[in-house]
Amino acid sequence: MSSSTTTPTLQACRECGAGAPLDAHFCPQCTKILPLSRQGDYFSFLGLPRKLNIDAADLEQRFRALSRQFHPDFFYNATPAERRASLERSSYLNDAYRTLRQPISRIEYLLKLEGLGASGPSEASKQVPPGLLEEVFALNEELDEIRELRANGAAATEWQARLERARQPIEAKRVQHEMQLQELAGQWDAGGGPDALKALRDQFLERNYIHNLLAGIERELTSA
Amino acid sequence: MGKVVGIDLGTTNSLVAFVTDGTPKVIRDSSGDGLVPSVVSVGDEGTIFVGREAQRRLLTDAQRTVYSVKRFMGKGRDDVQDETSHFPFRIGGEGGVLRIGVGDKEFTPPEISAFILRELKHRAEAFFAEQGEIDNEVDRAVITVPAYFNDAQRTATRDAGRIAGLEVLRIINEPTAASLAYGLDKRHAGLIAVYDLGGGTFDISILRVEDGVFQVLATNGDTHLGGDDIDNLLIDRVLGGHMGPPLQGHMGPPLGHTGPTLQGHMGSPLQGPAPTASGLVQGPAPTASGPVQGPAPTASGSVHGPAPTASGSVQGPAPNVGADPRVGPSPEAVQEVRKAVIQAKIDLSDRDETEIRIDDGRPEGLRFTKKITRAEVEALIAPIVERTLEPCRQALADAGLEASQIDEVVLVGGSTRIPLVRRKVEELFGRTPHSELNPDEVVALGAAVQADILITGNRDMLLLDVTPLSLGIETMGGITSKIIMRNSTIPATGSEMFTTAVDSQTAVDIHVLQGERELVSDNRSLARFKLRGIPPMPAGLPRVQVQFQIDANGILSVTASELRTEIEQTVEVKPSYGLTDEQVEQMLMDSFENAEADFAARLLIEARNEAENVIHATEKALRASDIDQIENEELAAGERKKIESVLAGLKMVLNSSDRETIQKWTQALNDNTRHLAEVMMNRSVQAALSGKNVNEM
Repeated sequence: MSSSTTTPTLQACRECGAGAPLDAHFCPQCTKILPLSRQGDYFSFLGLPRKLNIDAADLEQRFRALSRQFHPDFFYNATPAERRASLERSSYLNDAYRTLRQPISRIEYLLKLEGLGASGPSEASKQVPPGLLEEVFALNEELDEIRELRANGAAATEWQARLERARQPIEAKRVQHEMQLQELAGQWDAGGGPDALKALRDQFLERNYIHNLLAGIERELTSA
Repeated sequence: MGKVVGIDLGTTNSLVAFVTDGTPKVIRDSSGDGLVPSVVSVGDEGTIFVGREAQRRLLTDAQRTVYSVKRFMGKGRDDVQDETSHFPFRIGGEGGVLRIGVGDKEFTPPEISAFILRELKHRAEAFFAEQGEIDNEVDRAVITVPAYFNDAQRTATRDAGRIAGLEVLRIINEPTAASLAYGLDKRHAGLIAVYDLGGGTFDISILRVEDGVFQVLATNGDTHLGGDDIDNLLIDRVLGGHMGPPLQGHMGPPLGHTGPTLQGHMGSPLQGPAPTASGLVQGPAPTASGPVQGPAPTASGSVHGPAPTASGSVQGPAPNVGADPRVGPSPEAVQEVRKAVIQAKIDLSDRDETEIRIDDGRPEGLRFTKKITRAEVEALIAPIVERTLEPCRQALADAGLEASQIDEVVLVGGSTRIPLVRRKVEELFGRTPHSELNPDEVVALGAAVQADILITGNRDMLLLDVTPLSLGIETMGGITSKIIMRNSTIPATGSEMFTTAVDSQTAVDIHVLQGERELVSDNRSLARFKLRGIPPMPAGLPRVQVQFQIDANGILSVTASELRTEIEQTVEVKPSYGLTDEQVEQMLMDSFENAEADFAARLLIEARNEAENVIHATEKALRASDIDQIENEELAAGERKKIESVLAGLKMVLNSSDRETIQKWTQALNDNTRHLAEVMMNRSVQAALSGKNVNEM
């Protein structure tokens, strides 16, 4: 499952000038660490196919093995260029590991990579997703009432309990959405192509919408 | 190339260690002591004293002596407003950089820390010279910091190293360093929690150890929570805080009567801070601890003080007396109390009851004895211990783990010797914590291991740490927009796109913050950057990508470029709470000019250290629970009295600058206690042979 855009297939080693494969970390000729190229992505960097189901143990193992190869600790006595390359590669590895470890950030990253990326961080649906209209309407009414209760000095236990009750249906929706995301991820991995991706994106934005609703409730709970 | 060491720059004590034949070792002084108290004192002539000698000067010249400076690293003056009252030295400064006034001099916290680092450097160099090393210069070090230190605090620590003439190879986190030291035997694999309660800071780190990779999953803590807080509570209590009347009915008899012949050797006259230093807070405010109740000289004939020490000879402003009709104890008396409560705290780690004994040997000094039980102290400090548990729960949650999943718990830091702390940690994690390695030394050992890894390129072990706090920038409306989340493995990067708001705008201001809160004002301001050199274009057209890089030290750097023109932008860094590179350079230059303690002063310090060791051992022996029995059964008539009087004599001369007299009295005390030491040794050997626990006797 490779990217559809055409990219160069070689990078040049700045040390000895030899050509190295794009996903190589070290020059096959002179064994020096290669500077981080602008091509490539988190998946290829870790030697993984561009798929959404990742074996967690395998990812951990790759992360540790690569860390051992280019952590700055091991380049203390190297040339400035190698030290910079080690820092760049370690940072990129850590960023890649962090992004691919969590299913949600993994989907977000894939969408971006495939040109369906969000315009801002954790972009959510702008409009209330149709399947959520009922819940959102009920939640807003409940929130208004709770705020009024609080304004009238209701006991914390009382309004907190109501808020908690209001949270539950939304939380159930979140779980449901994440399960559907999982399913769509499976379709993408099975070669579902652009259609799977588009469905994944819509579901993902709705999931973020729900996530924001939950965060709002959380803020309401913790605000004194 | 010079030598490389690992340094634990602690709130209370500092240590230096190195690796030899693959094993880390703490470098000790001639008496076997590895700890250098993190105390710096400035003598009348500007001589800088560090360590044990400086610690002694806390009792004679508190206002010229700085301790717990780590609490001030990377802080601005406004940050520490609330606690200046607890310190005898003056705290001031303008803008971001805090300054500490000592005598007529002012130092920044990195400069004070640099004195400690330089002392450790000397100690290591002396050690290597003794080992017959031809090149004994120590020029590089790994220095540890609390995991929860922010960027400003880390940078201040690195600056301190540079001012001390050390190349700082790496700043590493204390709990992680400890895990490295523990991991040496390779037995430990799985999920580890390191609970590190030191003198001034608390950290919790959760790690996964596998294939020799020590990967921190989450870290949390409080850089303002530690043994110091416990000491302050106890001091307040003794000086008549809120916990009921102090010193009730436990007044002891006057201790250690000293002969009139020694009077001439009493401590040198105190010189208060010069009143000129502008902008400095006049500390200490002795009134902070509530009504100072005693020990009033009238309570009984035997109680002295807290007298305004050496009345006639104090120069300079009296500490804050004007504001309050009640006259508090002198800074020296407070330090005397501090020393006594610390000793009592230590005693209570392995017994249920002890005495707070205060006797500074001066006739006009503070003098009393008070019984205190472990239960009382535990009730007093329980809230402090409780405050460490929430960060533990947060770290577990961030790591996505339950407490029961943790395989091993490691205790680090002197304060983890407190039984209550151990109990609480055991309760939380449901397992007995490890404490095989000395909790005071394990961090320095780990720092030495890391230094060795960096120098040799040894790949057996690798430490992957995280950034403790999220990094963000200020956006519209004073909101923080996070760029690198907390607990991200470092090194890490993040980037943000900026554009211009006005046509032909060539510069953009960026405010960088650290913290978890939403509002800018609730987070820590790290620095303000000005991006310059943006090519003039219509508003909104430039695309300036700002790249934030947190390196393996947890320290931030920023680069920027305009993507349309690929022009690199200049980034002017203005740290909110720190020194500029130029200031650090200047301080390094100045430090060469600062006279250090000369050879004679060093000899004197060594003599005092030796005396202090003998005093300490003698006092410990005299506090033994079976001392009365020993006296009756084994000592000659008057033998104990003699020991007590020589002990008092040595304490009298201890602070004089007459080295020979100190040595004479030390020798005398040594001679007079030899028999007692033999007796006690025999008794414990017999007890051991008869299967009884020595502690039971």
